[in-house]
Amino acid sequence: MFAKLKKKIAEETAVAQRPGGATRIPRSVSKESVASMGADSGDDFASDGSSSREDLSSQLLRRNEQIRKLEARLSDYAEQVRNLQKIKEKLEIALEKHQDSSMRKFQEQNEAFQANRAKMTEGLALALARKDQEWSEKLDQLEKEKRFLTAQLQEVENQSLNLFQRRDEIDELEGFQQQELSKVKHMLLKKEESLGKMQQKLEAQTRELSQTQEELMIFNQMSSDLRQKLEELQRCYSTLEEQRDHVTAAKAGAESKITALERKEQELQAFIQQLSIDFQKVTAETQEKEKLITHLEEKVVSLERRLEQNLSGEEYVQELLKEKAVAEQNLEDTRQQLLAARTSQAQGISILETQVKELEQSLQASEERLRQSSDLAATQEVQIQQLVAANQESSLAQQQVLALKQQCTEHTCALEAQIVALQQARVADQTAAEHAMSELEREHTALQESRNEYERSLQHHQIELKKLKEEWSQREIMSVAMAQALEEVQKQREEFQQQAAELRATIDEKEQILQEKAKVLLQKEEEILQLKKGHDSALLQMHQLQSELEALRSCRAQEASPAEAQEDLLRLEDPEPCVTVKAAQDPMYQDPLAEGTPNGQVGAIDLGQLQKEKQDLEQQLTEKNKTIKQMQQRMLELRKTLQRELKIKPDSELFEVREKPGPEMPNMAPSVTNNADLTDVREINFKYLKHVVLKFMSCRESEAFHLIKAVSVLLNFSQEEENMLKETLEYKMSWFGSKPAPKGSIRPSISNPRIPWS
Amino acid sequence: MGGFFSSIFSSLFGTREMRILILGLDGAGKTTILYRLQVGEVVTTIPTIGFNVETVTYKNLKFQVWDLGGQTSIRPYWRCYYSNTDAVIYVVDSCDRDRIGISKSELVAMLEEEELRKAILVVFANKQDMEQAMTPSEMANALGLPALKDRKWQIFKTSATKGTGLDEAMEWLVETLKSRQ
Repeated sequence: MFAKLKKKIAEETAVAQRPGGATRIPRSVSKESVASMGADSGDDFASDGSSSREDLSSQLLRRNEQIRKLEARLSDYAEQVRNLQKIKEKLEIALEKHQDSSMRKFQEQNEAFQANRAKMTEGLALALARKDQEWSEKLDQLEKEKRFLTAQLQEVENQSLNLFQRRDEIDELEGFQQQELSKVKHMLLKKEESLGKMQQKLEAQTRELSQTQEELMIFNQMSSDLRQKLEELQRCYSTLEEQRDHVTAAKAGAESKITALERKEQELQAFIQQLSIDFQKVTAETQEKEKLITHLEEKVVSLERRLEQNLSGEEYVQELLKEKAVAEQNLEDTRQQLLAARTSQAQGISILETQVKELEQSLQASEERLRQSSDLAATQEVQIQQLVAANQESSLAQQQVLALKQQCTEHTCALEAQIVALQQARVADQTAAEHAMSELEREHTALQESRNEYERSLQHHQIELKKLKEEWSQREIMSVAMAQALEEVQKQREEFQQQAAELRATIDEKEQILQEKAKVLLQKEEEILQLKKGHDSALLQMHQLQSELEALRSCRAQEASPAEAQEDLLRLEDPEPCVTVKAAQDPMYQDPLAEGTPNGQVGAIDLGQLQKEKQDLEQQLTEKNKTIKQMQQRMLELRKTLQRELKIKPDSELFEVREKPGPEMPNMAPSVTNNADLTDVREINFKYLKHVVLKFMSCRESEAFHLIKAVSVLLNFSQEEENMLKETLEYKMSWFGSKPAPKGSIRPSISNPRIPWS
Repeated sequence: MGGFFSSIFSSLFGTREMRILILGLDGAGKTTILYRLQVGEVVTTIPTIGFNVETVTYKNLKFQVWDLGGQTSIRPYWRCYYSNTDAVIYVVDSCDRDRIGISKSELVAMLEEEELRKAILVVFANKQDMEQAMTPSEMANALGLPALKDRKWQIFKTSATKGTGLDEAMEWLVETLKSRQ
């Protein structure tokens, strides 16, 4: 903005100064030169003031010169005033032109706008109708789909219900099966248990059998032993009978012997009795002899006494002694004879006694032997009886054994038969159980298969259900999206209506603006009038200045400061053209200008205030200059980049400009730039574009997504194209979704034909 | 719908990559810093006409680091990359006293962008190994950092060629990003 201002000012100053002989110089320089001129003159005044007392004439001369200079300046000013008038005329012309052009533009714009609006409204109405139709169709379709889907859903739900029922049935069947299985298992277990018991029984019986067989063996052995014993006993018996025969024979012999011996005993006893009688006779004889001996001994004793009495009878004593000796001899002989008889008797008795003794001994022995033999016979008889009893017992035992054997065999047979029967039963049971088991397993497998099938079908149905649900949800989402889109379209329609209303409002506004502009034009005319007034006042000022000059001339001794004030005033007037130019360009600056002229009038009166204001203004000016410089720097940079962009995409820029009209608009107009710089910048831009596009095409999608904006800015894509690019990238990045149709690529090029830059 | 699913998937599978921009005037050392962060080596660089993008993993966080060329003519394109940025590493040449004003104005213009309203700012006072380098506090004042409001920022003195200060800066950045999530 400032640049344009500056340029215009420069142009205008050039136009203004060229007639006056001044060269085209920048404003700042001209200002500086004016300031330096003022400073010079101020110095001059100071020197004048110091030298006035010394030489008045020379001062007068100088004053005259100064007056001449001032007159020249006045003429300059007059020229300037003329210039100003010219400018004013120009401005008026420009204003008229501007007005005309603006009016024309407004009309054109208005027409174009109305045409556009009509077109747009028609187009929008058509589009809306079409969209409405489309959307209603789509809605119908969607509703149909929805109905279809709901029907499907119901079907699926029914199916799922059936499935659940089937599943329940399957579960029930499984339960039954399991129950049956458990029953069968239970039965099997029971059977096995009974089998085990039977086997145990069998084992016990076999054990019993073996025991009985062993017993049998033992019995057999025993019977054989007994038989042997029997045989032995029979043998013994026969020997004993023989012995008995022997013994009976011996007994008979012994009895005969005993009789013989008894006879002998009787003989002997008779003999003994004779002997005893003999002995008694002998004893009686001895007793008579002993009585004769005792009588003889008594005669001997009586004779010995007679001898003793017959002492002289000796031949008688001798014949008595001879008769004694012959009697003694006869006694001795009889004694001897007795002794001999006695000895012979004793000898006979002893012999007889010995014989008796011997006989008795033999008798006793025989009796003993008899007793012994009878004992033996008795014992043998007992033994025989015993043996017979044992024999009988053994036979009984054998019979028992046989009976037992028979029983045992019968028992074993029965047991074996039982065992066989049991085994058969067991085998039958087993086979039956196996059969049942296999059947059950078959049933089980069949059930499992059916269950698996059902499960599979269930899963299939569930998957179907899921799919359908997903589809449904997708459809729902789609329908929701469509509804949203419909709403959006309705919103858009509303927005369009609003826009139409807004456009109408803007038209109204524009009309108002037109009216305002007309007013502004009127105001500007007034301004012009005011400017004329201001010009008059400037003339007045000039007159005043002239009068002041005269006053200066009259009282120049004291007038150092008023002169400076004048200078300041003169200086103050310098920015005025600029201000006026500004004012002419923009109505915003009208007020300062309107105030500026009275200020100048007041400044002539109040110099101090003016000075202060001047200083303030100068400060502001310098600050503004600084800011302007900074702004210019930034603007240069911006402009460069902008130009580069403009080179590449002038129509979008135009579009933007059209979108936001305002004070920035003149800036956007390409200004004069260095051609070399421009090409350099272009090169860099091209490099940048090349790099970005290369990266965009080569890098990851997530990175490329961030580059869309840069690419679309560099290649000057429209919003639709940028969106299309974004959608395409999103489609590439995501796993789902449909490829967006390349819709936006043609339309902007038709509506906005590209204008090649430069 | 694709976007919806992809957003679900991105939320399901791990954390997304953090997006970091390295900005700064030309010759500040942005590319050197990027490759120092990525491979830990000093690479010889040429002025970046365009940008470099690398994936840097630091403390189990993945960063997608964009080093944008800082030349005057391509600085206006920075704004094309602002969207979805988690942090900005602003690199300033500590010895370039003449252009620190431009650097400041660029920084201020950048921070005014709506798209970077939530981005964390890390300023690298680079080239601290040079003798005439400004101190970080000096630079913070020169860049007008203390006047920033509603912005998490920190300045670090770094030397990309010597590799000093980068770890501390990245540490701070990681911590700040984690605490912000």
